[in-house]
Amino acid sequence: MIEYSEKERRMVLKLVYYGPALSGKTTNLLQLHEQLTRQGRGELMVLDTTGDRTIYFDLLPFFLTAPSGLKIKVKVYTVPGQVCHDATRKAVLQRADGIAFIADSKPAEAQNNFASFDNLERNLLVVGLDIDAVPLVIQFNKRDLPDAIPEEELRRAWGPTGIPVMMASALHGEGVAETFRTLAGLVYDRIDARFDLSSGHGLTRDMFVRQLSSLHGGEEE
Amino acid sequence: MNVERLEFLVGEEKGLREILLDSDVMPLLKGVLAAGAGGARLVDQEGVELWGAALPEGRGELLDRFPLFLEGEEVARLELHGDQEQRERLHPVGRLLTVALDTVIRNNLKRILTTEIHTSVVNSSQEELMRINAELAQSEARYRELAGNLELRVKERTAELKRAQAHLLQQEKMAGIGQLAAGVAHEINNPLGFIISNLHTLQKYVSRFCAMLQFYRDHLDLDLPVKVLSAEADQKWRELKLQQVVGDVGDLMSQSLAGAERVSRIVADLKGFSHVDDAGDMPVDLNEELERTLGVLSHTLAGRAEIVKDLQPLPSISCQPQLPGQIFLNLIQNALTHAGAAPRITLSSCFDGERIRFSIADNGKGVPASLRGQIFEPFFTTLPVGSGTGMGLTVVWEAVLKLQGSIAVADAPGGGAEFMITIPVGKG
Repeated sequence: MIEYSEKERRMVLKLVYYGPALSGKTTNLLQLHEQLTRQGRGELMVLDTTGDRTIYFDLLPFFLTAPSGLKIKVKVYTVPGQVCHDATRKAVLQRADGIAFIADSKPAEAQNNFASFDNLERNLLVVGLDIDAVPLVIQFNKRDLPDAIPEEELRRAWGPTGIPVMMASALHGEGVAETFRTLAGLVYDRIDARFDLSSGHGLTRDMFVRQLSSLHGGEEE
Repeated sequence: MNVERLEFLVGEEKGLREILLDSDVMPLLKGVLAAGAGGARLVDQEGVELWGAALPEGRGELLDRFPLFLEGEEVARLELHGDQEQRERLHPVGRLLTVALDTVIRNNLKRILTTEIHTSVVNSSQEELMRINAELAQSEARYRELAGNLELRVKERTAELKRAQAHLLQQEKMAGIGQLAAGVAHEINNPLGFIISNLHTLQKYVSRFCAMLQFYRDHLDLDLPVKVLSAEADQKWRELKLQQVVGDVGDLMSQSLAGAERVSRIVADLKGFSHVDDAGDMPVDLNEELERTLGVLSHTLAGRAEIVKDLQPLPSISCQPQLPGQIFLNLIQNALTHAGAAPRITLSSCFDGERIRFSIADNGKGVPASLRGQIFEPFFTTLPVGSGTGMGLTVVWEAVLKLQGSIAVADAPGGGAEFMITIPVGKG
């Protein structure tokens, strides 16, 4: 958690989209930005400094207010997937409240998926986060590719980890909001008791998820 | 190591005050004044003024409000003041100012985020370098320690080897003495053998003399005529074969005495050679010591080797008296081992006024030039395993060293090996 102030009735959460290079992390954020209502989310900030590729990430903030008046801001970041940008990944991963691991469904990328997940595990340890406790979802992106690894196979490989596995095609906007909602739900489960979200602030899991991810044309509009 | 460093948390919340500088905002606010507004200010959500500019004569009424966003969140508003008539005209100016501020906020935020990440990356890279540095320092320390230990270990091993070598040298000396003792035992056994045999015979002879004497004592009491007594005594004398006995006794006695004297002489030689009674340095005549060594080796040499001596008179030197014996004994035994079927050992000594030189040469195969550097080393031997300890010449080397001398090996004239010992003669 980035910030929590009882006095200011304010909470700032951090979610990180992790994964191998070019697996579609930024596409996920672009789609979220596209699909979710203007109300409740901020502008997408793309930090892409030419010349210094070590500093490269995206930020999309979301806002919601609990019935108690507690303002919750959720900052969603992506990290650079390239192996050489490990320091940036570590920096962004600090105090993360939840992680969406965006994997590539291309068979040729299977090895990179595992390497990146391994890197995630190691970096979580480095920044002092418990891999077993931190909310985590896996999204297999690019399901639209003709040679995508079959879903059963992926579920067989990743299912035993107990981590929710989502299928998506970010380029076509499929599975993006679902992944975000699943992660939001897990984050709520993790912090609810500690911050009295339901009992003290009147914020249920459903409200939390819905407010964060209301689509265009939904009843929230 | 305590490195002062900037700490950033990527994503940490920032206030407008941290993002905008006076120099970013004030020119814009003043620009609005120039466009005809009475006052312009930025106030936060609680209504506290962050920045403001107004005409000296007063800012006038509040005309318009424009929200300002940070990361999509409304954090402040721009308030425009002035005359009511100006409201219509100033509205687009306010919109323009809002867009300008928004752009500045966005760009500054990007810059700050970039700096945060960059700092984190640099810090972690530095930490990494520090860690690597510490690891290197650690491994260097470990190698230093290892190197230090190594020196110590080498010293320990060297001392161990030295002890082992000294032990072996002592064993070699003991072995030499053992061989000598075996020879000497043989030498002593010989005379002892015939002395004992002679004594047995003499014992028998004495009993016969006693029998003869008893005969006379018995017959004296009978008071027999002299003629009869004489005849009976003659018969008894013949019975006891006393005629031969009397003839034999003298030889037996002189033989036994000679044997005993030989044993006594051998023991004296041995004592002289080993110098068991002498302690510390004393004047020693090396020729005498050589003779003494030849004396104790006489049984080994007799009938087996030809000894040629050319010994010049030498001044005596001061040394431990057993050292020369060790040198001569080992060199002569070495010569005997390596000389052929008919060994000839040539011994010579001379004195040139400063140094005594000894030469011990044999008529064997000689020492090949390639081995000359090694023969004095411990354990070096050309004999089959088990036959030689490889320590004999090492004992010689050590002893010569103790005499402050040197030893070298060369080809003897006419073949064979020649060992040359040079010993300086001190002032005494």
